[in-house]
Amino acid sequence: MSVRLHPEVRNELIQFGIGDWNACYHCGTCTSICPLSEEGFLFPRKKIRLMQMGLKDQLESSVEPWLCYYCGDCSKTCPRDANPGELMMSLRRYLTSKYDWTGLSKKFYTSELWELGFILVFAALVVISFLVILPSMGYHFTRELTAEGGVQVNAFAPIKIVEPFDLMMAFVVASLLISNILRMYYKIIWKNSKTKVSLWVHVREFWNLIFHFAVQPKFSKCDDKRYWLSHWLLMSGYTIMFILIMVFLPWFQTEKIHPIWHPQRILGYYATIGLLFGLGVAIVGRIQRKDIKFQFSHVSDWLFIMMLTLTATTGILVHIFRITGMPMATYISYIAHMSVLVPMILIEVPFSKWSHLAYRPFAVYFTQLKKYAVPK
Amino acid sequence: MEKQEPTGVFFYNPKDTIPDPIDYSELEAYALKYTAVKQVWQYNDFVWNEGSLSTIIESNQIERVVLAGAVPGIVKTLFSKILSLAGKDPDKVILASFNEHGIRKSSDLPRAKAVLACAICDIPYEIAALPDEFPSSPATLVIGGGIAGIQASLEIANSNNLVYLVEKSGTIGGKMATFDKTFPTLDCAACILTPKMVEVNQNPNIKLMSYCEVLDVTGTPGNFSVKVLKKARKVNVSTCIGCGTCAEKCPAQAPSEFDAGTAMRKAIYIPFPQAVPNKYLIDAESCIYIKNGKCKACVKACPVPDCINLDEQDQEVTLQVGNIIVATGYKVFDAKRMPQFGYGVFPNVLTSLEFERLLNASGPTGGNITVRTQDKKGNWIFGPDSERPESLAIIHCIGSRDKNYNKYCSRVCCMYSLKFAHLILDKLPDAQVFEYFIDMRSFGKGYEEFYERIKEEGVSIIRGKSAKVEEKNGKLQVRGEDILLSTIIENQVDMVILSVGLEPSEDTEKLCNILGIPQSEGGWMEESNYNTNPTGTIKGGVLIAGTCQGPKDIPDTVAQGSAAAARVIQSILKGKVGGDIDTLPLENIEHRINELTPIQS
Repeated sequence: MSVRLHPEVRNELIQFGIGDWNACYHCGTCTSICPLSEEGFLFPRKKIRLMQMGLKDQLESSVEPWLCYYCGDCSKTCPRDANPGELMMSLRRYLTSKYDWTGLSKKFYTSELWELGFILVFAALVVISFLVILPSMGYHFTRELTAEGGVQVNAFAPIKIVEPFDLMMAFVVASLLISNILRMYYKIIWKNSKTKVSLWVHVREFWNLIFHFAVQPKFSKCDDKRYWLSHWLLMSGYTIMFILIMVFLPWFQTEKIHPIWHPQRILGYYATIGLLFGLGVAIVGRIQRKDIKFQFSHVSDWLFIMMLTLTATTGILVHIFRITGMPMATYISYIAHMSVLVPMILIEVPFSKWSHLAYRPFAVYFTQLKKYAVPK
Repeated sequence: MEKQEPTGVFFYNPKDTIPDPIDYSELEAYALKYTAVKQVWQYNDFVWNEGSLSTIIESNQIERVVLAGAVPGIVKTLFSKILSLAGKDPDKVILASFNEHGIRKSSDLPRAKAVLACAICDIPYEIAALPDEFPSSPATLVIGGGIAGIQASLEIANSNNLVYLVEKSGTIGGKMATFDKTFPTLDCAACILTPKMVEVNQNPNIKLMSYCEVLDVTGTPGNFSVKVLKKARKVNVSTCIGCGTCAEKCPAQAPSEFDAGTAMRKAIYIPFPQAVPNKYLIDAESCIYIKNGKCKACVKACPVPDCINLDEQDQEVTLQVGNIIVATGYKVFDAKRMPQFGYGVFPNVLTSLEFERLLNASGPTGGNITVRTQDKKGNWIFGPDSERPESLAIIHCIGSRDKNYNKYCSRVCCMYSLKFAHLILDKLPDAQVFEYFIDMRSFGKGYEEFYERIKEEGVSIIRGKSAKVEEKNGKLQVRGEDILLSTIIENQVDMVILSVGLEPSEDTEKLCNILGIPQSEGGWMEESNYNTNPTGTIKGGVLIAGTCQGPKDIPDTVAQGSAAAARVIQSILKGKVGGDIDTLPLENIEHRINELTPIQS
């Protein structure tokens, strides 16, 4: 089968990160030093070749970039300074933009203006709804609430109004993400004209998805286990918090201050500690730039970290003010919290860096499917 | 001044990205000093095109254009066209190329001016900047007694001229003496080299100064005064009969330099049996008497009275020479710098020079390829009853073509690795040999044929460099990607040979400072012109030959030895030697231009 070359892909890819893939002379050092590269799913060298040749279709149907957890061994030993690790990172951004059918992902990755603009618009919408729309519906917090004394979050941001919005947002985000995953599935498995995968294999291998989401064993195979731990704490904390606020908001946003051993508080504290620890490692690493995986930071990396940090800190402030009984401070930090949280979820989850939380375990699942694919 | 056709000077200097560019405005002012120059343009100063320039040229009656810049040749054809559009002779485009003359930074401005002046006056720079000549004394100093130094010394000595051959170690012969075979002819290296070494020893015109080092060079070209350190050999070279009784009795041991550390030698030793001079010397660092003041076992054993003098001290001598040939050679890349290959950790990961000794009949194993095993004391040695390896892996490009270490290609590793593969199969016909390579560089006469031959002999040649060597099940596991099949190949072998690259020898920088010659990228000694004068340097009377100039194989090294010698013989015949190239001041060049400019009526 002959293939068609798309040399313009190289110029497109350059927008997604740094890298000098023309420097590569194909010695194979990166592939053989990689602890995750396995037979049938070899990377990074083969991906670099696809990039050099501009084999667009093969690139888009690659699952390998998601199997790389960026330990940086390849970039360290690369004799040509071609930086294969960073190329895999750029490819992940590229693939995220390709799975997304709205075209927004590419805009966010390639233009800071678009990304910042969207964040600010959503933040402004949140602030306006709290300062203008909710008061017009009778939920004034400035006079009445402070006068009554005590913190009453549900009187200020009533759960019966917040929750439908919350669920609506969850629905939008989930449908975008699921449609992207379906597109990913289509590109990687369905489109392949030579092989097919039986339904039974789909069912049998499904445990991979859950297992790899929860444990991330591939990450732990990378050399430095400490990064696995910090990333796992971040991921688990984030996931717990995400589920709590997206699905169990009425249980989470309560007026009553539960005792410290209450699951609501324990889960909240665990998530906070996990988030802060993981974020701390990422921020310090990216500022020190000692480890090769932290040496090159894309704007989208920093934005994600900054927004998550802001969300966490404003969330902590809400909690402290609520417990210490400072109504005004609680409400203001609540608005600040929401004005960071909403744009972060709307932008990062379906369109940007966050989406790897879904793509990575699905990639492992699809890898298993590909292994058991049979010729048509 | 001179009478010349009206000239326009165009400075082609687009987008200067170099950190320290030369001052083009000063060059512009300099060009305008010449009466022939009617018009000066700077590339960045105005928007120009073929039409506008040709109109200016036509209206100002300019007959010729000088293009000056780092690489002005790029626009030469364009200016030919512009001249023809203006109705002028399109051939009258003269280049003043700065890159070609090594002008790269602001301090090179005088030389840029000289190049520009030569272009304006149409005098070849090479003629105008020809250094003055100095009377030369006939003696020659050759630094380094490897094959390049030996060749150069013999050429000069055979033309009946005096040569001082200074060698740092105890014997001449250099790296080539340690080799078993040469590629691609598979000649026995010692059989070619040792007759030349003996010839050096017997030629009355060669004053062989082994175990000596050059400390300082003063004076002018043609009349150098060289301070040489005669390191205390502690054995009288004229009376030592080379019987070896002293070494038999000597209790101290040290790793043998000649055997690349694969075997031990005594503190009083002869580097190898065919050493020239074939006389013993004492290594002060391992000698017990020098360390503790007690022993003298060698003195007691020596049958010649007063031959060994353990209290001998270093001496300095001064030589008067007219020319100097530097042939200091190379050292191999330190494989410990790439820990992923396990050199220094796994005893059976060897460098190429070590394996060369293993192949050599005069080496530690008598030419048998055996693996290192532990002796009773726990030392890893190539013992008499060591096993033969069943499988071997050769990994190319260790420390070469790698931006983390040396980015250049060392030129010889591919070929010597193929030679290894052949010699392994020659000695162990049942062995499996795996060669991991990136690109096979078999570029010389007979080399590609040699590669073909090795392929036919059944060597597994894997395209793709190995990334790491690990220990697994008591064997060495070599992991690499076969990039043609796109599969990971893991071979478990008994021995790994690292094809280490070449680096300038240890004292290259020191010697370059002593002689005042620059170093190229990678630390090699810089030739005055890469293409047309590879053995000359910018210093008059100082020549370079062999691998000190850059990595090369034996035939090229020998050729350079002869080439450098030819330069020296030329200077001896003339009785004169050219001065330093970069030192001729701008005024002298301008003066020379004036002299050379034909007077036009």
